Amino acid sequence: MRIFNYLFLLSISVFSVASVANYTLPSYEKFTLDNGLTVYLMEQTEVPLIDISVVIKAGAIEDGEQAGLNYFTARNLTLGTQLLDKSTLDQTIDFVGADVFSTANLEFITVGASLASKDSQKVLPIFRDMVTAPRFDRAEFDKLKQRHILNLQQGKERPSSVINNYFNRLVFGEQGYGAVVKGDSKSIQDLTLEQLKQHYSNWYQPKNSAVIVVGDFDSKQMKQQLSDLFSSWKNTLELSATKVESSDKAKQSKLLLVNKPDARQSTFLIGGKGITQNNTNRVGLSVINTILGARFTSWLNDELRVNAGLTYGARSRFSAYSQDGSFAISTFTKTETTIEAIDLALKTYARLWEKGIDEQTLTSAKAYVKGQFPPQFETSTELASLLVNMYGYQFDESYINTFEQQVDSLTIEKTKQLIKQYFPQENLQFVVIGQADAIRDKLAKYGDITEVNINDVGFNTK
Amino acid sequence: MKSLLTIIVLVVALFSQPLKAITKAENVKAFTLKNGMKIMVLEDHSIPNANMYLFWKVGSRNEYPGITGLSHFFEHMMFNGAKKYGPKMFDRTMEASGGSNNAYTTENLTVYTNWFPVSAIETIFDLEADRIANLAIDTQMVESERGVVTSERSTGLENSNYRSISEEVKNAAFRAHPYSWSVIGHQSDIDNWSLEDLKQYHKTYYAPNNAVVVISGDVTVEQVKRLAKQYFEPIPAQPAPRKVHTIEPEQNGERRVYLQKKSVTTPNVLMAYHVPETQHHDYYALEILNDILSTGDSSRLQKTLINEKQVASSVFSYQPESIDPNLFYIYAVAAKDVSAAQLEKAIIGEINNIIKNGVTEQELQKVKNTKLVNFYRQMATINGKANTIGSYEMYFGDYKKLFTAPQEYSKVSITDVQKVAKTYLKKANRTVGVLSAKEDSNDADL
Repeated sequence: MRIFNYLFLLSISVFSVASVANYTLPSYEKFTLDNGLTVYLMEQTEVPLIDISVVIKAGAIEDGEQAGLNYFTARNLTLGTQLLDKSTLDQTIDFVGADVFSTANLEFITVGASLASKDSQKVLPIFRDMVTAPRFDRAEFDKLKQRHILNLQQGKERPSSVINNYFNRLVFGEQGYGAVVKGDSKSIQDLTLEQLKQHYSNWYQPKNSAVIVVGDFDSKQMKQQLSDLFSSWKNTLELSATKVESSDKAKQSKLLLVNKPDARQSTFLIGGKGITQNNTNRVGLSVINTILGARFTSWLNDELRVNAGLTYGARSRFSAYSQDGSFAISTFTKTETTIEAIDLALKTYARLWEKGIDEQTLTSAKAYVKGQFPPQFETSTELASLLVNMYGYQFDESYINTFEQQVDSLTIEKTKQLIKQYFPQENLQFVVIGQADAIRDKLAKYGDITEVNINDVGFNTK
Repeated sequence: MKSLLTIIVLVVALFSQPLKAITKAENVKAFTLKNGMKIMVLEDHSIPNANMYLFWKVGSRNEYPGITGLSHFFEHMMFNGAKKYGPKMFDRTMEASGGSNNAYTTENLTVYTNWFPVSAIETIFDLEADRIANLAIDTQMVESERGVVTSERSTGLENSNYRSISEEVKNAAFRAHPYSWSVIGHQSDIDNWSLEDLKQYHKTYYAPNNAVVVISGDVTVEQVKRLAKQYFEPIPAQPAPRKVHTIEPEQNGERRVYLQKKSVTTPNVLMAYHVPETQHHDYYALEILNDILSTGDSSRLQKTLINEKQVASSVFSYQPESIDPNLFYIYAVAAKDVSAAQLEKAIIGEINNIIKNGVTEQELQKVKNTKLVNFYRQMATINGKANTIGSYEMYFGDYKKLFTAPQEYSKVSITDVQKVAKTYLKKANRTVGVLSAKEDSNDADL
């Protein structure tokens, strides 16, 4: 393949989205049931499919000392309902070609299903029970726990799958957005079924949740069906969501070296603090970031890949959350060229301040982000995911509907101001995963080095 | 990206249900230019965008020792400058007009994908015609691209255990046919192929008579016809490439390979059985067997190995779409404290169970239902449509087979599924690869 897919970009959801002439979000209905459950309905009739999601506002930032609690509780929802054991549930869902999933990120939980429209009477009641009446079977809990612990260990085989956990820790500290969504092998080992049940009853409440349905259905009938299914879901107690305080900017450059003795290449991230989801300059910043590192002809990819042949791909990204965010440059290169690649990445990044952006490049980037926009919201699944993020991160469709206007209004002058204000320039944070013995000495010039071993439990940065 | 092998989007079946706006065979308009280039158009006005997929009939099966990986390398070189649009100008021009692109190479094909607002369509034709007719292979670009591909190769091996072990298994399963080596090729070949190799490759394989083009989206058939005649028709046809005539000799005994990788947490097992090419009539029964084995938590291997016996932490099976006879793969990662031998035994137990006792009508129906829903998912995007139509044309010989697949699947009985399991999934026909952290030696050796 020609272009590397940056899996970790998936976590930033709608941030990188751009817009095109006249594109507006398709119309949808939003209302609230008597128990406080928010409902979104959007009809899309091209193919006879339905996507349904329930979002619960609780994520890894609520894990506290129990890393992975929200994620692992969510994962247990698909292991059977009070009516159906796991095997019967799997059999029933698979027989009609439906898919179900449950997951959590830093800020919210999503339980979802994709199904043929004709099966909605059969699948939706089961889906509802997964959310409101999970089985929490002890044997299944134990089995998933062992598998999940092993998966966490296996994750460390692949630098690309864990590097963001280290980086978040470095930028945000151990609490708040430094939380490790999937937990670590020790924290998961310590979780009990009772703790999961308690956590479930505290947070899974209709007033703290939304149900989102997109696809081929009649809104009037769907409204009735959802009301029949979800009206009996009860609220329990008062909720007190953690307010994540925006952490301070770094006061010095730090470098975390993660030793992977059998590595044949070095994988690294460089960056610092970024922006929040509701930052009013999100669109302008995404255009600038496109120029720096989010398309094939971006500065970073052009220098590190096309001109120097050091890597298969180099990029940059903002990861925005509701109260805080990060920015990072990412790439990888063979062990021998680690320093050369980091130096070139830093030199290229410095162009933002030294030379700035020219008119021709800005015009090209504007056309690019606008042209690539509509396919991102082509399917029911993509639209459902957008609504999930709108509810979970609390932003509205004005972001989508005014996108083109905002892209067009970006001037060279404005780019200078945004670069100065939002791209971290000093006290950069580095994570390098690679063969420590071969690179340790030469990395010292970038900042205070801390060294850990990739096989150590969790993601310590101290 | 899962791997260079494009771990497949298994497209399939339209059954007998009423299908609303779902694409039908007559919605696809096909025509052939005078130079032999075949073009298919599917209008879809749901978004103001379109795509162009170019399928070239060249992949690692067209290589030989010394130039392994050249098809994939060439995929990269197609972006590095032609006559009208010099180095870097392909991407710069495309992105400035709002478009983006990618490409992938498999054992059989090289596929180029362009996605763009429909206003940019003429620019896309111009860019493609330029690089097809007049690619300029710059020596400096070749050198820098060797570094890029080396990095692509390393990052694949670093981040994917499957990549590491599949290289070994393919190499053991094929001793004659070019499917023997990985699509990315051997490092020493990446380091050493010559400019002359590249020039010859372009002339031979990037001829219009060796391509199929699919355009889907907010276009009209007339508009595409006009642009295709203007930009693509003047490109001269070339003599047909040399046929790949090598037939893999029948395998008559199990082959085993072992690879040590110190960072592997638990052993990985990859089994590969020789099976016929996609156009063979057993393809459909094998496809159904594949889904019964590993699609969904209720499938045989997932349910038994992961949930009941707890010997595996993950498992999948698949057979790539293929021009020549290829392999049916089963891949599993051991659970904690489970050895490769235990895992292998459990997989074989499940296969033998099917060979001996067959599958159920319910399992067969489940797979047919799933294939229908997956077909809807595939046809929900203009890219899914273009890729599916082009793949059918290349692998099944005719895109219309996409629309008769339902009948083919409905003909498959539980007896057929048992029969293909018995015919192909037998010991003498398999290669077993083990990837493990342990060294493949111990005191009892020698």
